[in-house]
Amino acid sequence: MLKFAKCLSVAAIVAAALTGTATAQQDFPNKPMQLMVAFPAGGSTDIAARVVASIAEKAVGQPIVVVNRGGAGGQIGWTELVRQKPDGYYIGFINLPATNTVILDPERRAIFNEKDFTPIINQVLDPGVIWVRADSPYKTVQDLIDAAKKSPGTIRAATTGILSDDHLAILMTEEAAPGAKFRIVHLDGGATQFKEIMGGNVDVAFDNVGSIVKRVLSGEVRALTVLDDVRSKFMPNVPTSKEAGYPTVISSSTRGIAGPKGMPAPLVAKLQGVLKKAMEDPEHVKKLEDQGIAIKIMIGDEYEKYFAETHAKAKKYTEWAKNRPM
Amino acid sequence: MDTLTHLMAGLSAALSLQNFAFALIGCVLGTLIGVLPGLGPAAGTAILIPLTFKLDPTGALIMLSAIYYGAMYGGTITSVLINVPGEAASVVTCIDGHQMAKQGRGGTALGIAAIGSFVGGIFATFALVIVAPPLAQVALKFGPPEFFALMLVGLCLITGLGGRSLLAGLVMAVLGLLIAMIGIDPVRGAPRFTLGIPSLYDGLGFIPVVMGLFGVAEILLAVQQPHRQVIKTDLASLIPSREEWRRSIGAIGRGTGIGFFLGLIPGVGSIIPTFVAYVFEKRLSKTPERFGNGAIEGVAAPESANNAYANAAMIPLLTLGIPSSPTIAVLMGAFIINGLTPGPFLFQERPDLVWAVIASFFLGNILLLVLNLPFVGLWARILHLPYQYVCVGTLTFCIIGAYSLQQNVFDIYVMIACGVIGYGMRKIDMPIAPLVLGLILGPFLEKSLRTSLEMSAGDFSIFFTRPLCLVLLVLAAVVLVASALRLPPREIREASAG
Repeated sequence: MLKFAKCLSVAAIVAAALTGTATAQQDFPNKPMQLMVAFPAGGSTDIAARVVASIAEKAVGQPIVVVNRGGAGGQIGWTELVRQKPDGYYIGFINLPATNTVILDPERRAIFNEKDFTPIINQVLDPGVIWVRADSPYKTVQDLIDAAKKSPGTIRAATTGILSDDHLAILMTEEAAPGAKFRIVHLDGGATQFKEIMGGNVDVAFDNVGSIVKRVLSGEVRALTVLDDVRSKFMPNVPTSKEAGYPTVISSSTRGIAGPKGMPAPLVAKLQGVLKKAMEDPEHVKKLEDQGIAIKIMIGDEYEKYFAETHAKAKKYTEWAKNRPM
Repeated sequence: MDTLTHLMAGLSAALSLQNFAFALIGCVLGTLIGVLPGLGPAAGTAILIPLTFKLDPTGALIMLSAIYYGAMYGGTITSVLINVPGEAASVVTCIDGHQMAKQGRGGTALGIAAIGSFVGGIFATFALVIVAPPLAQVALKFGPPEFFALMLVGLCLITGLGGRSLLAGLVMAVLGLLIAMIGIDPVRGAPRFTLGIPSLYDGLGFIPVVMGLFGVAEILLAVQQPHRQVIKTDLASLIPSREEWRRSIGAIGRGTGIGFFLGLIPGVGSIIPTFVAYVFEKRLSKTPERFGNGAIEGVAAPESANNAYANAAMIPLLTLGIPSSPTIAVLMGAFIINGLTPGPFLFQERPDLVWAVIASFFLGNILLLVLNLPFVGLWARILHLPYQYVCVGTLTFCIIGAYSLQQNVFDIYVMIACGVIGYGMRKIDMPIAPLVLGLILGPFLEKSLRTSLEMSAGDFSIFFTRPLCLVLLVLAAVVLVASALRLPPREIREASAG
């Protein structure tokens, strides 16, 4: 008797689940959605995410709640993302190449790999930048590299986390300038970098344009170079790494939205439509550009190709980082 | 000038209808927690954190701070009327407060306690406004090695002062640090102590742990307490007579001063200032024999000290990021889950939030004066509630709260397990404070240690070649040696063991 009741209830649950998924796509979304950010509130990923969410939720007619799952350079948030149901109600920001290096670093024993995500749409491509205190002896990137060659392993260079794009950028710089070696200090973000640079606890910071642009423009700090092949429109006076003679030192952090693997194509298309429209909205463009964050929308094949290329590049430098003596 | 502008902006934010309402709710809930014997401010704040989850950070922190200092007011009512401290800091108030109630002067005792608390709270908040910004400026100059040393000093103070022996304190502090290490390594990203359980990748949630260690454990302990009789006393005449005023004014002033200065030292806890203020008044009095027989100074001094302490203890938290008591550690946890790290940086990054919270202290103290003077009779009636219902209600609230944090049943298990552990530890007299402090400071301590070593390429001499860092490390060593030699007076150690 009890067994029968159990069977019945299992059947009922299965039936409910089946009909649930069938109707889910037509009237999607019919309940609040969650947009996960794998970094704490107030960071640049978070700020940009909130702008998208606030515009897109008007279009979908359901609240889009930004949930911050910071920690371990994003791993905590992404672990949570891949464990969700691929029903579109829980999607989140992936940050390339940070997501790639978390996958690639064996020490992290990430429970997910690059195939566990459904890339939906890219939002931002924020190029790397090397900056120092306004009164630093290094006026150009060449000054810095010369100094790093002259006394290798003494110039303290800050990243925004181990195997972050900024960490990879330091390795690219060392690779492009044989003999130059930095003493790498892993800090946990742009705010900490600024504090430690100002306090004289580190000598040079590798970060992205968006995090430091305001302080560069106000003259509080000096940007040496933008790690891109075209100048940033937000700091047009700063030469690129290509101009400075280091065309291989190209680094950026991108942010895009992905879901867990196995999301049905129509659902992805629907989300792409809504999110693309939100990202093209003048309010979104203005809010991001006011902060010096460059928008780069990529969907479909373009985004998947970018993901794969970034993954390959990240793989090379992750292995390099692992074999580099401290 | 700058401070004044910030404070004014903070006041206008705190006076917005929404934030005013949060301060009021916080004060009411805080007083309630204070009134309910057995449920202390740490437990109360921890249990109520889930309530603030959907609020914006400013509102949430205004409300939680109000709960914290509100509980400091409310504890008095229970002390006076049933001779059981509503929270540990009101232990001393029982001595003369309850005598006054027996003599029919309960109303006056509660009146002077509320007034003294108000003076202490307001004064300490003014001092906070003046002291905090320059202190935060200084702290901003600290590098990772200095922060590491500073946190070590804080942890040593709490370990040394907070228990029956240094060994017990150390065991608990290390246990706290070990629990803090559960989860993904913050620098290299390797999972630690996770036993393959995905819920542990995020580490043990601070909130479920403290809800268990304080909330559930305190309910379990309270169930075993016999129910006490509420004294019938005159609550109509709240305002002290001219003679009582004369006796109290000095006591309130001295209590405020003592509470404020002791509030600046991490690890002192909320009980010591009240004891010191009481003993000081008794020694100073020309008629010490009146103490213990309903001396109004015996109520005025410790209650002023208590609230001056409560608000002053926010200074090390807001400027240095060092919590000085378990309750403040719980508050720090509330900051962190809102994505904010208390410390000098917060003053720079979110002055709007910091100043709105500080400004709300003024507001809260005024609200509490109103809540405690005309409405004291209402609170007294709560004491008649049968305690078994209160216990069951609070426990239910804890379970819902723990689940609501991230809709994860695992958090409920964590809370219940910690409740049982916390109960056991109190029974075998192990101090909880060092564990909680180790738990909350652990990640910061680890991060600053590892960053320092990256700065020096692995050379430990970085800690001894920077003068300020060296001074702090020597201070930490002195604190540990002093407490190993049992230098703090026995009463202080015992008083702070709770």
